[in-house]
Amino acid sequence: MRAVSAVLPLAIAVIPWGILTGALGMQIGLSPWQAQAMSLLVFGGAAQLSGLTLIAGGAGLPAILGSTAVISSRHLLYSMVFRQHMLTQPWYRRWPTAFFLTDEMFAVSEAQTRSSGRFSSGFALVAGFTFWVIWNLATLAGILLGEGVENLDQLGLDFAIIATFVAMTFDNLKNRPVVVAMLVSGSAAVLLKPYLSDSYIIIAALLGMLAAYTVSSDAVSEPEAGP
Amino acid sequence: MIWLTIALMAVITFSNRALFFARSIRYQMGARVRRLLTYSSYAILTAIWAPILLRFSPQYGISHAGADYLVGTVLAMSLTMLRLPTLAVVLISAAVFFAIRFGAFFCASIP
Repeated sequence: MRAVSAVLPLAIAVIPWGILTGALGMQIGLSPWQAQAMSLLVFGGAAQLSGLTLIAGGAGLPAILGSTAVISSRHLLYSMVFRQHMLTQPWYRRWPTAFFLTDEMFAVSEAQTRSSGRFSSGFALVAGFTFWVIWNLATLAGILLGEGVENLDQLGLDFAIIATFVAMTFDNLKNRPVVVAMLVSGSAAVLLKPYLSDSYIIIAALLGMLAAYTVSSDAVSEPEAGP
Repeated sequence: MIWLTIALMAVITFSNRALFFARSIRYQMGARVRRLLTYSSYAILTAIWAPILLRFSPQYGISHAGADYLVGTVLAMSLTMLRLPTLAVVLISAAVFFAIRFGAFFCASIP
C-alpha cells in the first residue's frame, strides 16, 4: 500500500498525457486495439506521443524507432542503477521489474531505498504495476473520448510532478555535490529543451551527474592535497 | 505496418530498461561509476521538473509557467526543507496550487 500511495500523485499527474495518447492514436487513424496496445507494451509517455506524431506525419520506421531509442535512453541509466539490486533476483522478478521501470517507478523506489536503507523489489514492482494500470486506464479513456479531448493541459495536473520530484530531491541540501547535480541538471534541461526535444533530459542529467562527481572528488581529495 | 511499429517500439523501450538486468552482461561496476550513479536520481528528477516550471526560448529568454506554479514550487521546496513527509508536501502544495489556479479563475469569471 505504501508503494501505491507513493506513486499515486505521479500517476494522477500523467492521466492527461495518457488520455492524450489514446485520443491522438484514434485521431491519426489507429484502431482502438492498436492505440491500447501501444500503452500496454511500449509503456512510455514521451516515446508514445513522439511516435504517434511521427506516424501521423508519415515518417518512416527508422525515424520512429530512432526517436523511441533516444527518448527512452534514460531508462538505461535506471537499469544501471538498479543492476546491483536486480542481479540477485530470480528471473520472474527481474524481467517484470524491467518492464515496469519508468521515471516514476525509479523515483519512488529510489526515495524508498534512501529512507529505509535498502532496496525493496516488491515495492518497486507494486509501484510500477500501479502506474502501468493507471496509464492504461487513462489511455482507454482517451480512446473512448476520441476527438472530444481538449484543454486537458489547462488543468495544471503537471504540477503534481513538480511537487513530487521536489519533495524527493530537496531533502539532502547539505550535501554539496547533490545541490550541484540539481543546479546543473535543472539549468541544462531548461536551456537544452528547445534544441534537443528528444534527448534533453538524459543529456542534462548526465551533465549534472558529472558536475556533482567532479565536486565530490574535489572534496575527497582535499585532505590528501594538504601538506 | 502499425502493429510492426508498435512491436518494435516495445522491443526498444524494454531493451533499454532490461539491459543492465541481464546477468550475461559482464559489466562490473567500478567505484567511480557507482559514485556517479548516486547522483542520478537527483539529476534526472530535476531535469524532468525544472522545464515544466521554467521555459527557455532563444527569442524571449526565460519565462515561467505562472504564479500558481511558482508559489506551489517554492512552497513544496520549503515544506521539504522543514522535513515534512513526501506525501504531505505533495498534498499541501497541490492544494495551495489549485486554490490559486482555480480561485483566480473563479474570481475572474465573476462579472
